[in-house]
Amino acid sequence: MDVAVIWNNLPYLAMGLAVTLQTAALVIVAGSVFGLALGLLRSVGPRPLRVAAMLYIEFIRGTPLLVVLFIIYFAVPALIGFRFTAYTAAVIGFVAFIGAYIAEDCRSGLASVPKGQAEAGLASGLTRGQVMRLIILPQAIRRMLPALFGQFVRLVKFTSVASVIGVTELTGAALTVNAREFRPLEIIIFLGFAYFVLCLLLSQLGRWLNRRYAIPQ
Amino acid sequence: MSYHFDWSVLWTFRGALLQGAALTLLLSLAGLAGAVFLGAIAGAVSTAQARLPRLAAASYVETARNVPLLVHIYFWYLGLSSLRLPAFWCASLALMVYCGAFVAEIVRAGIQSVPAGQAAAAQALGLTRQQTLVKIVYPQALRIIAPSLAGVFSQLIKDSSLASVVSVGELTFQAGEIEGVTFRTFEAYIGITLVYLVIVTAVTRGTILLLRGRAPSFLEPS
Repeated sequence: MDVAVIWNNLPYLAMGLAVTLQTAALVIVAGSVFGLALGLLRSVGPRPLRVAAMLYIEFIRGTPLLVVLFIIYFAVPALIGFRFTAYTAAVIGFVAFIGAYIAEDCRSGLASVPKGQAEAGLASGLTRGQVMRLIILPQAIRRMLPALFGQFVRLVKFTSVASVIGVTELTGAALTVNAREFRPLEIIIFLGFAYFVLCLLLSQLGRWLNRRYAIPQ
Repeated sequence: MSYHFDWSVLWTFRGALLQGAALTLLLSLAGLAGAVFLGAIAGAVSTAQARLPRLAAASYVETARNVPLLVHIYFWYLGLSSLRLPAFWCASLALMVYCGAFVAEIVRAGIQSVPAGQAAAAQALGLTRQQTLVKIVYPQALRIIAPSLAGVFSQLIKDSSLASVVSVGELTFQAGEIEGVTFRTFEAYIGITLVYLVIVTAVTRGTILLLRGRAPSFLEPS
């Protein structure tokens, strides 16, 4: 074991980590918005949109992430005659992918709010939109928190796959360092440790938020 | 849109696709067997009363599932490159260790979800601790966890696509090969997506049918 190889390449690895963090943050925000919209369409949208959302969700959930990335990076450009950079393709792919899973969590979150709540809201004169916005969604989102953070942790791990289409995030940076130094064991263990810490911090944050905002039973 | 679809490439390269599908299945089965083995042990151990085994199981689960699968694969393929394991086994071992952690969590939850009265009743009838677990608790837990287990299996099959990164010639890898020869990118990737869909659906349904059996009605998840 030679830890110096990590120390010497720390600036480069840190740059990779920064790309990973930036990607994760971007996709967490965009993916949540997309997933929530998709989940709403799937649950309460007009019928054709509901079917379209269902088909999309099932298609994505049946497809490996790597294949989704390949489709967006290699196949879609062939169709539309415009090529994304690897980074853009990765971000679009992650959002498209995680959005489908978040949509499913969103759907079960919405379904978990007792029907009586919506009925009571309608009976007291709120419009359907108001019932959704003021009564259902705030409760559904609080119930969704654990599942949502589960998806975020998955997402952080998924960002490593971007290295396959050539994005120099943490994994890509580590592979580059390894190609130069050839100390695979040290570098891969460091890489694993970095993701481990990242995922653990994120799930701790999720637990804390859940404790704070969980609906008292 | 100036793209002309030509789906005949899927038929032309059916040999490569079949071979890829076979390898994907083989990889998934190997991963599945190992993951169930590791997961059953770690899951059962984490419900034990002794502190040390519980701690060991928990550290395995937390370490394995908080590290990306791709890093698991690179660990066996690059990190332990001195062992010169074939790429197929690197990917299989990675799938076993990674998915085993998820199976362990499900098994633990399943065992804990069997009503405590069941074990108490068994002990009252004079069954030993071991008999109680093997004959009363585990069979019921197995039926409860069937759907979640099916979920992990379908995830595992899709995750096996990452083996293409270390040049295991499974489905995703074959799609890349077809693309390289024909430039039929879209057809190749949509084609394998459909194959994945078929495999995943078959395995998911099969798992539920196989494990569900005739579950006692009070155990049916509502």
